[in-house]
Amino acid sequence: MKIRTRLTLWYATILIVSLAIIGVGTYNEIAEQMEHRHLRHPIWEEAFDETSEMIFPIGLPAIVLGLLGGWWITRRALAPVTALTDAVEKIHDGNLREQLPRTGNGDELDRLTEVFNAMTARLDGSFQRIREFSLHASHELKTPLTVIRGELETVLREESIAPAQKEWVLSQLDEIERLTKIVDGLTLLTKADAGQVNLKFEPVRLDDLVRENVADAKILAQPQNIRVSLDACDELTISGDRHRLRQLLLNLADNAIKYNCPNGSVAISLKRNNGFAELKIENTGAGLPPQLQTRVFDRFFRGDSSHSNAVDGCGLGLSIAQWIARAHHGNIEFASEPDRRTVVTVRLPNS
Amino acid sequence: MRVLVVEDEKKTASFIRKALQGEGFAVDVCHRGDDVLAAVSATPFDGVVMDIMLPGRDGLSVLRQLRERNDHTPVLLLSARGEVNERVEGLNAGADDYLPKPFAIAELIARVRALGRRSAETKSPLLRVGDLTLDTIMHRAERGGKFFDLTAREFRLLEFLMRSAGRICGRMSIIEKVWDYDFDPGTNLVDVYVKRLREKIDDGFEPKLLHTVRGAGYVLRE
Repeated sequence: MKIRTRLTLWYATILIVSLAIIGVGTYNEIAEQMEHRHLRHPIWEEAFDETSEMIFPIGLPAIVLGLLGGWWITRRALAPVTALTDAVEKIHDGNLREQLPRTGNGDELDRLTEVFNAMTARLDGSFQRIREFSLHASHELKTPLTVIRGELETVLREESIAPAQKEWVLSQLDEIERLTKIVDGLTLLTKADAGQVNLKFEPVRLDDLVRENVADAKILAQPQNIRVSLDACDELTISGDRHRLRQLLLNLADNAIKYNCPNGSVAISLKRNNGFAELKIENTGAGLPPQLQTRVFDRFFRGDSSHSNAVDGCGLGLSIAQWIARAHHGNIEFASEPDRRTVVTVRLPNS
Repeated sequence: MRVLVVEDEKKTASFIRKALQGEGFAVDVCHRGDDVLAAVSATPFDGVVMDIMLPGRDGLSVLRQLRERNDHTPVLLLSARGEVNERVEGLNAGADDYLPKPFAIAELIARVRALGRRSAETKSPLLRVGDLTLDTIMHRAERGGKFFDLTAREFRLLEFLMRSAGRICGRMSIIEKVWDYDFDPGTNLVDVYVKRLREKIDDGFEPKLLHTVRGAGYVLRE
């Protein structure tokens, strides 16, 4: 129950009780006077009627007025709380730097807002430090990777190297390559978090990019005999960054192929829908149980750990896709019916 | 051929120097950005391999000043991969080539070698490697009297490999030049395309022309 309703009910109870007390007092007084006047036993009904006549015409309007007034006062008193709730509701990790507006009148609620602002500022500081840490960490990892790679290759170039040793070095190089991909993905995401990736917005024919993407997907899908189809492709121009959109499309197509079953299929469609460009990528893979679906966009989330090792990837593809969709003021959704079909839907505002 | 390597990370500089010397280049190394201009004016180099992030002065500003002085020594920039803007800026500032880190040494050597003959390179419309020919005007590829049916992408891939014939092409440079992606797609797109191309141009022919260099990329050579 809302505080306002609760307070009004309390208020009503108090008013009714006070009215009852007044009523009882008045009744006693009237009965006593009657006793004096008539020198006989009071007629209870008469006294009761007289009391009602005195109490109700004034008392009832007073109660109604009191209730309305009370309701209005609580509403006024609680308005800043409602405003505060609305403002707090809008806070997320991206806008911690924004401060809640203060009334400046120094009351309890103003003080609450002040304390709240101080808390979000502290949180912002912590988030900032974590972001900077990740950014520096992913950047710092590149130098040692370059050195390890270079030195291994130098070993490889020596003519005296034994075949077994050579195989070992090559296998190390493959791992370095994998690590490089992870570091690259992480660098991109941490830079995006820190607001350091600038997108170059220009009018982009999304349908052209989708057709090009389908052509690549068909080739990528051949080894597992997966059929890729383009079911619909409306002509659509959106304002976006061409490279990032191509990256988004390739990431999603690649995922749909990787996490599919052999001889499965991938269906891609691009449609105009309520001012949005709606891209759907549907596949026939094993999918994910509902409790895991919300986590697919988490960094390094790899679904069922027993299957994840069979699939080559860095575990950042969908996180990157989500970042790109959001950076274009759009959204991305993942829906899966395990062992039947999985649909990833991207909506981007149509310009 | 004399090459100047500008790289602040000592170990990286050292293996670049060793690898280039192993290939017969004369190599000078400097670790700071503000030493480059003096070094270049003191000795004529045939090529400069320069990191973008340098102490003293960053690679881009050094490069800009070099070009302002009308010095056209070929420059290959090295940069952490994924720094999209740096790549574009680098090429705008007058760099002749760009290689993202971490790179394969074999590719670096191939690119440095290419720096020397860049000026002599002409965009011939007819490319030939062994008995394989590619006519970029007629959009036709032919080997041993047989014409190949290539998709647009396969054609661009073959053209790129033929123009760099004998040089190792890393996956990332193929992705950049053939797909025009400025990001690592994290897929085996290049490998799948190369495999298809190889089935077309190498299956049933001897000698094989398209080779895989493990840990580095691909090369088209006789």
